[in-house]
Order: sequence, then structure tokens, then C-alpha cells
Amino acid sequence: MFIGVTGYNHEASAALVDKNGVLVDFYREESLSRIKGDKSFPRRSIKKLLVTNNLKIEDIERVAFYERPLSAFLHIVKEASLHMPRSLPLLTHQFRNFNRSSVSCYLDFAKFFRGLENKLIYSDHHLSHTLTALAYSDSRKDICSVVVDGFGDRSTASISQIVDPTEINELWECLYPVSLGLFYSSITDYLGFAINEGEYKVMGLASFGDSNSKSAKLVRGLMDWDYASNQMISDMSYFDYHLSTSNSFSSKLEDLLGPARNPFNQLIPGDSDFQRCANIARGAQDLTIYLLGKIFTHAHKITSSRRFLFSGGVSMNSASIDHLAQMPFVDEIIIPPNPGDAGCAIGAAFYCYLKSNSCSDIKISKPSFFPSLKEKRNDELLTEQIIFNEFTFLERCEDNAFLKAAELISTGEIIGTVLSSSETGPRALGNRSLLCDGKNKYAVNKLNTVIKNRSPFRPTAPAMRYEIAKKFYKLRPEIYDCYKSMSATCKCLEDNISLEFPTTHVDGTARIQIVENNSSLDKLLSMLEPMGIEILANSSLNVSGDPTCFDLVDGLMVCSRTKLSYLLTDLGLLKRKT
Amino acid sequence: MKKSQSELPVFHETAHAELASALEMLAACKATESSNQAFGYFMHAKDEYNHAKSFFEILSNRAKRASIEEARDFRFKPPSLITKGYISKQGFLIETMKLKDFIAFVYTNELLAKSSFENILIMVGNSSEEGKIISSIMADELRHHGMAKKFFLNHYPALQPWQLRIYRMKETFNNRGRKIYDINLKFLDKLLTPLYKAMAYVAGTMAKKLNLNEFKREGKNLMNISSNSIL
Repeated sequence: MFIGVTGYNHEASAALVDKNGVLVDFYREESLSRIKGDKSFPRRSIKKLLVTNNLKIEDIERVAFYERPLSAFLHIVKEASLHMPRSLPLLTHQFRNFNRSSVSCYLDFAKFFRGLENKLIYSDHHLSHTLTALAYSDSRKDICSVVVDGFGDRSTASISQIVDPTEINELWECLYPVSLGLFYSSITDYLGFAINEGEYKVMGLASFGDSNSKSAKLVRGLMDWDYASNQMISDMSYFDYHLSTSNSFSSKLEDLLGPARNPFNQLIPGDSDFQRCANIARGAQDLTIYLLGKIFTHAHKITSSRRFLFSGGVSMNSASIDHLAQMPFVDEIIIPPNPGDAGCAIGAAFYCYLKSNSCSDIKISKPSFFPSLKEKRNDELLTEQIIFNEFTFLERCEDNAFLKAAELISTGEIIGTVLSSSETGPRALGNRSLLCDGKNKYAVNKLNTVIKNRSPFRPTAPAMRYEIAKKFYKLRPEIYDCYKSMSATCKCLEDNISLEFPTTHVDGTARIQIVENNSSLDKLLSMLEPMGIEILANSSLNVSGDPTCFDLVDGLMVCSRTKLSYLLTDLGLLKRKT
Repeated sequence: MKKSQSELPVFHETAHAELASALEMLAACKATESSNQAFGYFMHAKDEYNHAKSFFEILSNRAKRASIEEARDFRFKPPSLITKGYISKQGFLIETMKLKDFIAFVYTNELLAKSSFENILIMVGNSSEEGKIISSIMADELRHHGMAKKFFLNHYPALQPWQLRIYRMKETFNNRGRKIYDINLKFLDKLLTPLYKAMAYVAGTMAKKLNLNEFKREGKNLMNISSNSIL
């Protein structure tokens, strides 16, 4: 058995791969600690992997950390040292927290899982991303990997050619501090949203912006592609992320674009500052699409490949994927369901597996979107009194519960789901979802605002079968797999009724989910279709600011804290008592 | 503006503390083997979540009026629950304490929390809308305190109420100790910051000379690079 772990600098997680190259289990630390974006050493996740799968330390052959800790530390220090004394606070912070950085992962293993520290190996950050994406690809050979993120342990973007899983040649890299991911995060910060969380909001906000506006053009000029060196270039004087622990952008950016937004003021379409912010977001989105286009073009040029793996935090920018798919040399783009740093644990676990096997033995099974084993604990016993006091069972039999849930959805109700195992990635694909009729404006609005308390400019995703999706949306076969994990947006067909759907964004796009066969949503849709409902609005089951629900107790808690009335669970369909 | 400067940290920290309490209770709910206890912890967690929400709303209302620069410092970042020490790096209390000590801790701290909210109540004004919310939170804390006491005495009948008082005194001293430690730490930090900066300057000067180019990966097979190297 092989374990891969992430943590410290980015979201913590742990993955387990068996000796046959099968991803057996995966946990994000935030799911277990209930602290969104938890970056601490993934103690709970590793423990859960061991306990749930009945493993002892001796059963683990190797453990891989997803990046090279000293490299990450030194690159930041080296860059900051070039800007002393301005960067002294950052340098002081780095040195004072040296023992709390990822460099201490060996010691943390020794402290919490004695014996595992001797089995610890290290993978390159971008290699972990690449191997994660490779696991989700049907083909393992002759494919190009593009990784674009904020910062890993060395570079901020890279292109590699995968000859086979044992030969992954890096052909291009963009060195820190020039970073498309950190640029996008800085704009996110400037617009008053939290870094590593608010990027989705910027993407949603961008649809309201005007590419020809002055603000958008100014943002568009903050980075560029240098044709002579085939590198991204950036005027670093507008940014502070490489110099400061607290500021990601400099006062020069505020001189250029106006004052940053107060994070506590709500952004509502029509308000005075809304359009300025939307235009800035538009500029950031346009620049991202432009630079990703350049990186992919360069990737094609140096690898001649027409098939791409795309991972790293920037690949979560689903609005740019449709543009990439339209490039003439692209035949296929694969994005793993968890392309951010948390997903790197999967790649790190496969790295151990590959390092322990000779080339002829290598078999990597394509993982499911729901790899975690079903919770073995008896949820029914634990939650007996909670359910007795706070909920009533509408149906206990599984089929009847689904049918009743379908009937409720058809009458405009919203249903939460805590079914089977949870999703690998950040997007709820049906097992930890909030669902309602995707064409019912009232229900979608209630889901978005009353229950989720989301910003009014963020749309909800529609989920449907492929046959239904092609009636309404311009699907691209190059990114078919991306639609299954909600990794790409698509445009509505021209003059199509879908333009009126409440799940369609202001720019006529939607981040659709094509439902997998035999999944929970597939079962629900098979009952809904005879009732005339073919599209579900699907959002993650959580309260704003919290991680997506992990187990039944979390689901019951969301129900209790919000106005959600119904919860479809493995125990049956529950209704919250008033 | 000055008033908001002193108020914002109070609401920011209190919201963190209440959210951490909610997470502690949720963890206790998941860790117990008893369905009745799970229900008790669940309801307690729900109350604490609601308290945190109230404090975040009060914070938000005030931060809207603060300068942008100041307001940015009071954004909620969930991992700060750990870095600020509201949730221990070693795990939730239920994982690191004996059940008896955990209940005694809840019993004591709910009462201490109520006392600290009295100061917040004075700050926002008794009769204001926010004052009513704080009063209701204080009533909740008192109820939690009572429930913890009942639980404690039911499950450990051999223990007497005076022993609970000893727990309370102990925890009060501990809390004061933590405050003094925190103040000393901040003082030491201020005192030593110039030294830290000087050391960082020296280290930074050496780091300038580092040549990281040899760690470039361009043209290399990433699978062939030593898996034992942390560089």
C-alpha cells in the first residue's frame, strides 16, 4: 500500500493507492477537521486511511510528500532576499516559521505515525499534479501535461511530455515569482474576496464585465507573453505576494485601478462599485484565457502533442477551458476532479507506486470520482436521537426515498443529499449536493440565496444526462470528461430556450455537469424524467464558509442551521421538524 | 473610527472562539458512542454555530464603516482557527482529554464565556438590537453550563459539586495564566523583533548568493530525480 500526502503550504489531504495501482481511498483534511482550506499536517486523513482500510504502519510500503519542502522554502527566501529591506517582514516570518513549514513533515510523521517517517520520499510538486491528472486519463502514454498554479516548490507553470509513466520529461517552466495563479489570487484579494476561496467569485463576476472597459484593459496589461523567450512576463511592481506576508498587491495597483474593495460590503449587480469590480474581474479573466492559450500553444509547439492533461489551481478556472478546447491543435483535455493542491496527494501516492514497480508491472486504474470507502461506522446508531428529535422519516426504503425526493423536487422543493461516499474534488457531483429543479427560477433562487447565501452574481450549476445536454448546450467533444466533473463551462446553443434557464449565467454560459451512469444523480434523474424534469440545479451541501459536508452528522447540521427541509440519505429521506 | 478600531478585534476574536467551540462540539458529537450524548453535543454545536454567525454579522456591520485597509485585516480565514490557537494542532479537545475533564472544561468555560460577553454587552449597549442578541447568547451559555453540570454529576455521582468548583477555579487560573503568557509573548515579540529582523537580514544576504538554477528541471526526466531529496 502507498500513501501520498499534501499539506502545510496548501490544502492538506491524504490518498491511498494499492499494489495494483488502484486509488483505494482519499480524504481532504478539511472534511474531517471541518476547517475550510485546512493546511495542517493531514493527521486525521492519514489516521482515517489506516483505520478505515484496516491497515497498520507495517502495511504501508512507502509514503510520498507532494513537494520538495526545502526547495519551496528556498525559492521564496531567495526571491525575497533580492528586495531587502522591503521584504524583511516576509523573510523574518519565513525564518521564524521554518520549523512549522513543510520542512518539518518528516518530524510530524515521526511524531504522529512512528515508523512512517522512514518510508518517506518526496515528489516534485508539478510531477504530483501531472501524475494526478494522468491517473484520470484513459491513455498513459504520449500525452502532454500542462500545470499552472500559484507556486509549488520551484516553478509556477510547467509543460512536460509524458512518454510513459516512468518517463516524464519537463520541457518548459515559468519560474517564481511570475505566476498566473498568484496574479489571479491578487486580483481576488484586491476585489475583497478571500484568496484560495474567492477565485470562483471573480470568475462569476467577470461575466458582468466589459472587456473593452478601461479597467479591464489596464488589468489585461499586468502580464504578457514574451515571444522571444517564450515566457510569461509580469510587472512585479504591482504585486507584493513575493515580498509580504499580508499584502498580495502593492499600492501601485490601487493607484492604477482605484482603491481595493472593502470585503465586508456586499457586491450587488446595479450597485455603484459593482461595474468597476466586474470590469476588473473581466480583465483578469481575459488575461488568464490569453496566457493559457499561449502556454497551450507553446506546449503543442514543443511536444507536438494534441492531447493534454491540465492541472494546478488555475485549471479550476472552468470559464477558460471552453476557449482552450477551441484551439485548432487540441484533440483532448483531461482535468482531474481535484486539480488543486489537495488532489496532489493522489499523484504523490501514484509516485510511490511507480517508484516501487518496474515498468512492465505498471497498471494504473482510472479512479472513481467518489473514491472514499463508505463510512463503516453505524451512522444510524449515532444519529438516532438527533433524527428522532429534529427530523422525521418520510421514507426508509432506498427506492421509495429516491422516488419521494423526485416528487418533492418536481413540486419546487430543495433536497440535500448525503449518499454513499463523498466526492474527490471540490465540486459536489450528487452525493453531497443541494438539488432542485434546474428550470424552476423560484427554487434555484431560493437555493442560491436563502439556503446557500451566495453572492447574487454567482450562478448554480445544472446537472443532466448527455442526451439532454446536447439539446441545450454547445458541447465540445475535446473536453467531454471535464463536463462530468463540472470542470468546464459551455455556451448555450443560439436562440435556445436554455438561455432562459435560471442556471444560465448572464453571459449565456453554464458550468454543466454531465451525470455519470449508475450514480446517485443518474438514479434520481431516471425518476424525475417521467415527471418532466430533466435538469437539476446542483450545488454543494454546505453553509457558506464551511467545507462541503462529509458525513451524515454534517448533513444534519446543515439542515438544522439553514432553511433546508429535506435530506436524502442512505438511511432514507428525512424531513426537518419545524 | 477609533471606536471601531477597538471593537473589531473583540468581535473578530469572539467569532473565532465561538466557531471553534462549535467545531469542538461537532467533533465530540462524532466521537461519542452514545446516541443521547451525540444529540446533546449536536444541539450545543448548533447553538455555537449560531453564536459565531451573530458575532460575524456584528463584525461585518462595523467593518463596513471601517477603512478598507483595516477591514481587510478582519476577514475570516478558516485556517486561522488553528494558527490563532482556538483549535489545537494536537487535535480536538475530545481527542486529547479524558471525557470527565472535557465536560468539566465545558462546564467552566461556558460560564467564563458568559462573563466575557457581559463586557461585550456593555460595549454594544443593553437595549440595542445587538445587545438583545448578546443577551440571548449569554442565556445559551448559561444553559450549556447547566447542562454540562447536570451531565457531570449524573455520570460521576461520586464527585461533589465542590469538586466542580475546584475545576472552575483551576480553569480560571489557567485562563489567566494563558492571558499573562500571551501578553508576555507579545511583549517579548516586540522586544525581539529588531533582533529577528537583523538575523533575517543576515540570512537574507546569504540567501542572495544562493544559486537555485541547478535545481531547474528543464530537459530532465522528473521520474529519475532522487526521491529522497528535499531539494
